[in-house]
Amino acid sequence: MIISVNWLKKFTSINGTVDELATLIGARLVEIETVENIGEKYQGVIIAKVVECGPLENSDHLNVTKIDDGGVVADIERDENGLVQVVCGAPNVRAGLSVAWLPPRSVVPETFGDAEPFVLGAKPLRGVMSNGMLASAKELDLYDDHSGILEIDKDAAPGTLFAEVYELNDYLLDIENKSLTHRPDAFGVIGFAREVAGIQGLPFETPTWLQGLDAAVQNDGTATAPAVVIEDPSLSDRFQAVVLSGVDESAHSPIQLQTYLSRSGVRPISASVDISNYLMLLTGQPSHAYDYDKVKAIAGDDFTIRVRLAREGEKLVLLDGKEVSLDTADVVIAAGETAIGLAGIMGGQSTMVDGETKTVLYEAATFDLYRMRSSQMRHGIFSEAVTRFTKGIPAPLSNPVLVEAVSMLQHYTGAQATSDIVQDYPSTRQQIVVRVSEKKINDTLGTHFSADDIASLLGNVGFEVTFDELEASVTVPYWRQDIHIAEDLIEEVGRLAGFDTIALTVPRRDFVAVKPGDFDQLRSVVRRSLVRAGANEVLTYSFVHGDILKKAGQSPDNAYRITNSLSPDLQYYRQSLTPSLLTNVFQNIKAGYGSFALFEANKVHQKSDGATSESVPIERDSIALVVADAKKKGAAYYEAKRVLDYALGVLGISLDYQPLQDQQDAVYAPFEPKRSALVTDSKTGDVIGVVGEYKKSVQKAFKLPEFSAGFEINPRQLLKSIEAIGIQYRPLSRYPGTERDICFQVKQSVQYGEIVKSAEQFLNETGLIVTVSPLDIYQPEEGDTKNITIRVGLVSYEKTMTNEEVTAVIDGLITTVTERTEGKVI
Amino acid sequence: MSTYDVEGIKQSLLERVASSKSPREVLKATEFRELYGAISTLPPEERGAFGKQVNEVKIAVEAAIESRENELESADIVAIDVSAPWDINAKQPQLLPTENGTQHPLTKELENVVDIFTRMGFDAIESRQIDDDHHMFGALNFPEDHPARDGYDTFRTEEGFIPPAHTSTMQHRILKEGKAKLEAGGHIAAVSYGRVFRNEDVDATHEHTFYQCEGVFVSKDATLGDMLGTLRSFFETYYGQALRIKTQPAYFPFTEPGLEFAIEKPASIGGKPGEWLEMLGCGMIHPNVLVEAGIDPNKYRGFAWGGGIERLVMLKYGIEDLRHFESAKLAFLRKFAS
Repeated sequence: MIISVNWLKKFTSINGTVDELATLIGARLVEIETVENIGEKYQGVIIAKVVECGPLENSDHLNVTKIDDGGVVADIERDENGLVQVVCGAPNVRAGLSVAWLPPRSVVPETFGDAEPFVLGAKPLRGVMSNGMLASAKELDLYDDHSGILEIDKDAAPGTLFAEVYELNDYLLDIENKSLTHRPDAFGVIGFAREVAGIQGLPFETPTWLQGLDAAVQNDGTATAPAVVIEDPSLSDRFQAVVLSGVDESAHSPIQLQTYLSRSGVRPISASVDISNYLMLLTGQPSHAYDYDKVKAIAGDDFTIRVRLAREGEKLVLLDGKEVSLDTADVVIAAGETAIGLAGIMGGQSTMVDGETKTVLYEAATFDLYRMRSSQMRHGIFSEAVTRFTKGIPAPLSNPVLVEAVSMLQHYTGAQATSDIVQDYPSTRQQIVVRVSEKKINDTLGTHFSADDIASLLGNVGFEVTFDELEASVTVPYWRQDIHIAEDLIEEVGRLAGFDTIALTVPRRDFVAVKPGDFDQLRSVVRRSLVRAGANEVLTYSFVHGDILKKAGQSPDNAYRITNSLSPDLQYYRQSLTPSLLTNVFQNIKAGYGSFALFEANKVHQKSDGATSESVPIERDSIALVVADAKKKGAAYYEAKRVLDYALGVLGISLDYQPLQDQQDAVYAPFEPKRSALVTDSKTGDVIGVVGEYKKSVQKAFKLPEFSAGFEINPRQLLKSIEAIGIQYRPLSRYPGTERDICFQVKQSVQYGEIVKSAEQFLNETGLIVTVSPLDIYQPEEGDTKNITIRVGLVSYEKTMTNEEVTAVIDGLITTVTERTEGKVI
Repeated sequence: MSTYDVEGIKQSLLERVASSKSPREVLKATEFRELYGAISTLPPEERGAFGKQVNEVKIAVEAAIESRENELESADIVAIDVSAPWDINAKQPQLLPTENGTQHPLTKELENVVDIFTRMGFDAIESRQIDDDHHMFGALNFPEDHPARDGYDTFRTEEGFIPPAHTSTMQHRILKEGKAKLEAGGHIAAVSYGRVFRNEDVDATHEHTFYQCEGVFVSKDATLGDMLGTLRSFFETYYGQALRIKTQPAYFPFTEPGLEFAIEKPASIGGKPGEWLEMLGCGMIHPNVLVEAGIDPNKYRGFAWGGGIERLVMLKYGIEDLRHFESAKLAFLRKFAS
């Protein structure tokens, strides 16, 4: 929304510079996006009088004029009478006209601020000297009319600055109106001025005409006004109309009024339309004119204007010629039985005012803001009027606006009111009175306002405040339907006085130490470990394309589906993190990264997990990683496993790896069962997650290199694992230890884990400090066996072990392991 | 009736697929050509039903091909010993070079922000990524159909769940959870942080996915002055220098009064006096929000705030494009050495 500072000044005085004003408005009312100085572009524009005007020889449309500029422009060629010669092509140029003259060296306002602004000169046109030009409204950057030069309609002596005559030494404030959605009053210049007065600590005086809430219109009673019926009071608080005869639809409004419209971004059209827009810009109250005779013809015997809901299957052709199918939730205006307008949004073509119109039915009304909003969305119509209706126009406003409209229409178009105002006014809104204590205001804000301060701050903007002791009773003006409770007034006081004037404090409270939650801490540790393992943390979208799910072997049916996403790429909640990571492998390889690991810690969602006690979907935390190498061969599985062992080893967790078998959860879907493992906590046996290589189909679908693998784990499960670990420290031994390497030859089908497990089980019963670590895994090309070499470390708490003692332990170990694995030692 | 034994042909094709090493070849079988060719020879009234039958055969064969291909593919896959530390005849795999590893700048900054707030005495909880209308709007004093809801451009799921558009979706939970503590003479102090979503087109300065941190404080005597002091204190700690602040009235249904909070751009990130950075929205908690959580607004008052994390990170590093954050590009990620 654009607000002219000069227009504001008509309703309130403004102290200080425009920059100071903008800062103050920003701090106490609403954000201002930009301040535009429009006065700059009119610096050189002079009012001149056309003294002589005659056709230019050899031209079918050009005229040579002599103009009187009061002699104000220096360094210019003048005739003996001091007049300046200008050639003009406008059809309306004639002697006696007062015009806007752009003298040589001035800039055409329309091009002001352009990269190459058009600077006028003095040059011959068809051999006749022309000094500068006479300007059209378009060239003056007022509005889009280039049909002729602008005819100055005010008395102004030649030589006066154009900007002075039309108050164009002005600044335009571009207001961020999103934060005013609850303030219909601020959507009018007068309401905005009231606020500007209030934040400057000045009382605001509402213009007299706007105070006439019950004013009537003088009329001769020659026209029959329709009856007005609001069928359902929830649709509209009030609907008023009046009949005007003798409207001259071709009349123009004064240029001054037109420039205020165009400064506000509204195009001037004709006096009657301009007046409606002008009053809307001033007050926020839209109005609409119907061709009275057309309405009457449509209504037939039942000359009643009805505000009602649209009927099933009802259609309406709007002013712009488009036919809309109405929804039964749309509010329409009907003449008799027939819909003639989409209430608050757009009038209908059947009752449109045109050049033939002699009598109009002029409407000012208010409609339910929620219905306006849904109809606006449904039909995609965004007009200045409906924007205001969706903020909730207060019902009392329509009357003074209607009366002022009649007065202006009489003045500028010669129309006469020919009926009383007719209305239906079912609103049951009561005057709002809010009680608030001085103490509550100060306690909430942390301020020290007196009762007088409060009364004056609120009184300046139209609240009636009476104090009983220190308890205020505040009567809310009708235009502030947003004020209902004490807190609303507390805001008004703080805002009008300036929140920035409040002294900063911090809450009084006990010292309490707080530490991040256990899960947050754990996740941080895992993150850092993965980073130390050379991996890069990524964040990827929570939503994926259905194809990504399918490529990963997951069923879209188990994913929450977004119904209004802008793109199919964001259609489903992801069920696990792995597919998102896989999506990003190829792009990084293509970008030249040959070897890397990506990981993400985030939330995932599966429908099958069901709901929490709050009936919202259960969320899973997940951490996933993928390792990829563009060139390497071999089993990537072990590289992913190594990272997982390392990262969780940092937390003291040791893991078991078992072949993946028929695990149904979507997390496992991308993994190849023959080359993946179910990861469990070796202490608790709880499932932590999965590590492995991906199915061939997944590799293909995501364009993964042959060497790629990863894991996905449930970090919440790790919290339980950590609890189970307890304290791992055991006192150190004073005696030296010893190591032995043992090579087992076993069938290929024997798992390394079986050997280590049985070795550890045996050793744990010896009471020694033991370690078992892998040395070598060899499988010859021929035969069906493999050799697994482990290193066993033994330390006694009691003594230095002799060779015999060590051998005894190792022999026992060998017996246990070979029996269990049906292998032998070589 | 046609003389074709469609069912028999189907069985024979399926058997061929099951035994083939290149099952996709079966789609080129002459039977298909004959079946499709036959359609046009039938009386028009039989064509539809017959054509449907033929199509069903094709669909069944294609499904069989898919599963056969998977079977063949799987047959070539050599199982590995998943319990082993490395592959047969191989060496222990090495971790990638530590210096390649990086934490994402957003999670790092979130940890930093949460760390400061916990040191200031605020509990930290992560925000949900799927929630309901009640927590996202209803409990926060957004009436149904209120235009203020438009500003949030929420996504919706089929079931009517909402990917939260602000971390305030946790506010009602925090208040309910803290009620007992409050009534026992304590206060509520908590931040919620995490990922939020808005249904927007993505460009250099707009994302549908981003991160926020929200704070809530409730006590017997909290004031708006306390809120401004607390927020300044946070930013002074965060930037390690004294800062000027300013505010601007703002409208949020769940606060009253509501404000936008700005700091003067700190010198440490190249700020000059008079340059302001809008940091967050804040305000005194609306009494309706307290009531909704069972807290008596006549006895207790509170304030809340919420702001984006991306902005902090972008200012800190001079990041030019919001889209980098969720791009998973190593070219971006590896710029943030740990």
